[in-house]
Amino acid sequence: MKRLRLLLLPLIWMVAFLGCKPEDPIIIPIPSATLYPMEIPLGFPNKLNIPADNPITVEGALLGRYLFYDGRLSGRTHPDSLMSCATCHVQSRSFSTGIDNPRFPGGHTFGLNGEYTPHYTMPLVNLIFNSNGYLWNGMIHETNATFYQNDPRYHRRNIESLTWMGIVAPHEMAGDVDKTVELIASISMYPPMFTAAFGTPDVTYERISWAIAQFIRTLISGDNKFDKYLRGEYQMTTSELNGFVLFVTEEGADCFHCHGGDGNPLFTTNLYYNNATDNTFGDPRDRYAITGKPTDIGAYKAPTLRNIFSTAPYMRDGRFQTVDEVIDFYSHHLVWSPYVHPLMHKINEDGAQLLPFEKNDLKNFLLLLQDTTFLTNPAFSNPRPDDHFFQADPFVVNKVRK
Amino acid sequence: MRKIIKPFYHIIFIAFCIGLIVHFNSCKKPVPVDKTKYGKIRFEFVHYWGDDPIVYDTMIYTNAAANELMINEIQYFISNVTLHSSFGARMIDNWVDIYYIDKDIPSTLTWNVFDRIAVGDYQSLSFVFGIPAAKNIPYMYVNPPERDMFWPIFLGGQNGGFHYMKINGKWLELPENQVTPFDFHLGVGQIYAGGVVLVDSITGFVQNHFTVEFPNLNFKIQEDKTTVIEIAMDVSEWFKNPHDFDLETWGGYIMQNQDAMHIACQNGAHAFSVKSINIQ
Repeated sequence: MKRLRLLLLPLIWMVAFLGCKPEDPIIIPIPSATLYPMEIPLGFPNKLNIPADNPITVEGALLGRYLFYDGRLSGRTHPDSLMSCATCHVQSRSFSTGIDNPRFPGGHTFGLNGEYTPHYTMPLVNLIFNSNGYLWNGMIHETNATFYQNDPRYHRRNIESLTWMGIVAPHEMAGDVDKTVELIASISMYPPMFTAAFGTPDVTYERISWAIAQFIRTLISGDNKFDKYLRGEYQMTTSELNGFVLFVTEEGADCFHCHGGDGNPLFTTNLYYNNATDNTFGDPRDRYAITGKPTDIGAYKAPTLRNIFSTAPYMRDGRFQTVDEVIDFYSHHLVWSPYVHPLMHKINEDGAQLLPFEKNDLKNFLLLLQDTTFLTNPAFSNPRPDDHFFQADPFVVNKVRK
Repeated sequence: MRKIIKPFYHIIFIAFCIGLIVHFNSCKKPVPVDKTKYGKIRFEFVHYWGDDPIVYDTMIYTNAAANELMINEIQYFISNVTLHSSFGARMIDNWVDIYYIDKDIPSTLTWNVFDRIAVGDYQSLSFVFGIPAAKNIPYMYVNPPERDMFWPIFLGGQNGGFHYMKINGKWLELPENQVTPFDFHLGVGQIYAGGVVLVDSITGFVQNHFTVEFPNLNFKIQEDKTTVIEIAMDVSEWFKNPHDFDLETWGGYIMQNQDAMHIACQNGAHAFSVKSINIQ
């Protein structure tokens, strides 16, 4: 008996140590892939949201660009059932949908089964610089520990999560991840691209999500007239300068506390605010739904103002059609509620009370934030404009880009 | 007779010894700073209203000017943290000397100072509330959360840099007790010609940062140990002593009101204290 115990003891220790062994690091086979040359615009964050297990490579981002535009991401091939990221995220509309989108009247997207998305589309711009959650309520966040179908591949932690969410959501592709993987694997051009990106031709869900996330992380807007102003390459007009002053002063419109400015050229803090649009609440997808904090009732992410003239309609519910309407709202029509964020300090005056010429100056300043380089960058465009499976930008449908 | 006196001498002798011990202990010379041995230091930041930790997001406080208010957010910088010994040493090489505190980001409430601290006895501690002009440089922080403290260039000149502090809350505004936001934001002030609050009228800037000193703390840094110093901000102090800061008078935003920022900063000189010092 004593001998048996002596034999068992080391065995128990071995099992214990094996059981406590830390997880092996994830090794991504990218033997020949080239790291993507990332250029950070002046004043932008140098902390990039790139997961350790998914570095951006030239080959991975290119594969991601194909998948981003390929309507077969829905797992189907019938022309009526094609849908990809690019169906709703249109480059010329700063990768939002566009109020003038012929497929989605008014810019309100709906899925393949006709169900409308709960919120309007957010633009996919400069997401690599955000570590404070994605989507209107920040439900995708690196601390999120919940999985769809209890499968760790289907996490809700980062941009990678958007792929499975888009595929299975009833108001988006209403599809099945396995069918998508199977279909993508059957398309002859893809296995070599997967080999280039990941070292072997295996098509897996993880690799699809990695590649798409890599491409989305390359979508950097940093070359508008305001960027040029910061670089000393552009001189503002008097009206634009007056608008800039209004933007960044408390006595003016005070946009900067939530939307950045000269010290934060992303033009969003990526934080969440109740911005005084309502006095009744009940949206199950507001920030409160994520944090449970009463101060987050009716709060949503402050979207970037880059390319704001391309991303109508505005607010999570698309209630404003034009930038003029938004300026009017912040100037005269704020709605008091107990949940208004304390930065909305002009709530009891109904808003900033801008005069018509001030609104015009502010609008002229906001026009500086239009980044045409980004909106027309060939590197972000549909890679196969002649391929009917690929989701064309409806506003540049006849242009062939390579 | 001798038998009676002998124990009396014993008592005197014992009392004499005790006296000597007490005397030498009370007059013990401070241990000089030894730059060959090191300990660590950690600051912990807590926020009070009066004697109690703040209860956030609840309209339960009344300031010295009788404004009823709640506190929602507290974010601020301290800089130039300096330890002083009786030997006059201003201690630390390579001190990372600007630190951001945000009541909503727990990791900022504990500052494990990277630098090694020379062992010895220290008399006092000081820091600058906010950031001195020479160090308040635009774009020195490009990442959140510090980035989101930027102070617009128009309002701070070349050294505008960053807010010193944001305390955001709400108060019951008279006469109707309307719940009204206030943004108690401090940073570089502006002088406006003729009192016209337009950027074009700015004739100069005012550095509102100030030094906070904790004299006679008398704490030790011991080899291979961590001295933990708990620093408290009493938010109620920003609204009193020497000036009652009345939100009805100054309103809900003061970034372009140097008079308001000036009295706020005079009040703020009394807002900080050291709650405790422990060696771990």
